[in-house]
Amino acid sequence: MRYRDSSEVEVTGVARSDPGHEYEVALIGRIQRGERELFYELIRPYERRVFVIAFTILRNEADAQDAVQDAFLKAFKYLAQFRYESRFSTWLIQVAINEARLRQRKSHLEIMRPIEDQENEDGTYTPRDFADWREIPSEALERKEIREKLVAALGSLAQKYREVFVLRDVEHMSIENTAQALGISAGAVKTRLLRARLMLRDLLAPGLGGIWAGHSQIPKGTNPWS
Amino acid sequence: MVVNCEDVWREISNYFEGDLDPTLKRALEEHFAQCSHCESVRDGMRNVIELYGDKTMFSLPAGFYPRLHGRLADQVEGPRVSRRAWLVSVAVTGALAASAVFATVLEGFVPQPRSEMSQPARRLPQRLVAIVDGGKTFHAPGCPFMHGKNHMVTPEEAVREGYAPCNRCMYEALRSAGKVTPDFEGEEMVSNESGGK
Repeated sequence: MRYRDSSEVEVTGVARSDPGHEYEVALIGRIQRGERELFYELIRPYERRVFVIAFTILRNEADAQDAVQDAFLKAFKYLAQFRYESRFSTWLIQVAINEARLRQRKSHLEIMRPIEDQENEDGTYTPRDFADWREIPSEALERKEIREKLVAALGSLAQKYREVFVLRDVEHMSIENTAQALGISAGAVKTRLLRARLMLRDLLAPGLGGIWAGHSQIPKGTNPWS
Repeated sequence: MVVNCEDVWREISNYFEGDLDPTLKRALEEHFAQCSHCESVRDGMRNVIELYGDKTMFSLPAGFYPRLHGRLADQVEGPRVSRRAWLVSVAVTGALAASAVFATVLEGFVPQPRSEMSQPARRLPQRLVAIVDGGKTFHAPGCPFMHGKNHMVTPEEAVREGYAPCNRCMYEALRSAGKVTPDFEGEEMVSNESGGK
């Protein structure tokens, strides 16, 4: 199991010795000097990542696609102002997060924020006591309904937990880069990540644990997606 | 080192991050062996991390790339012209070019005089002139050197048809005429050698 990508460990967010990073810097320079078509090559590795982040924030595919397009357009427009103070990917994700949040505010989804958003994240979270959820069948994600339940469970978390979780556990960004992209401390990332993981475990274990164990462990009325 | 359940719940995420010192890590593992609740929490969290970390967890919607690249194309590659607009622009350009060529041809057109001895008009009168079908010169109305049934035309039409000015009746009119035919602009009027019938 992978919990840390060592190539992403850096001091200021930029791993100077990374050949991929050097290639990216060269690409950015050429685009800034007028080879505009290279922008497609620059963003290709991040297209899916930007979509997943936008989708996690907006919880709607159509809105997420619009946000992705606007984010890439902004990135292209302001690429000349990119100063290599962070990785391009981190800067791009910041642009995408801002774009998704802006779109969310415009659509007045703030009114419908989950109650957890108002909670103090420093409070102790007590995991619920469920029966075992030990094994994951390898074919689990091939089942559409399982993926939909996972997406629904993630979508039910407060936004601050969704953002941290998607950057760290879905997109495998380092704690440091996640903190930089979200403009919060590494400590805050760890705290929110702990809470997000525990809440998702509590949301999913009753349904998925029961399904995989071959018998239902779901207490009546507690299925999070029903 | 002994830890209780609350210690485990507080540190379990760091446990998966590999962010615990060895003593604390060992203490957590000893606790898991004794506490089924915390063991269940550990297994559940591991499953969450593995499931959401799978690359197949999120898939891009159909048509994602064409829509994205279509939206970026104008900015990245500059505005593109549609096929219809391209065809219209080609047609307009062609029409303008043809008009220019046609105008050039017309400007260069020198009417063939009806008489080998006459010279084309270099100045034109400012009024209608009279011509006779089969004649070679155009006249002022009532010119005594005009024979046959005449009809009035513009001087330009008369020149285009090859009529030369009558050097008797048109002499004075052409001397004072301000309008100069394009081919001879700036030159003095030269009297025609030939006359009317």
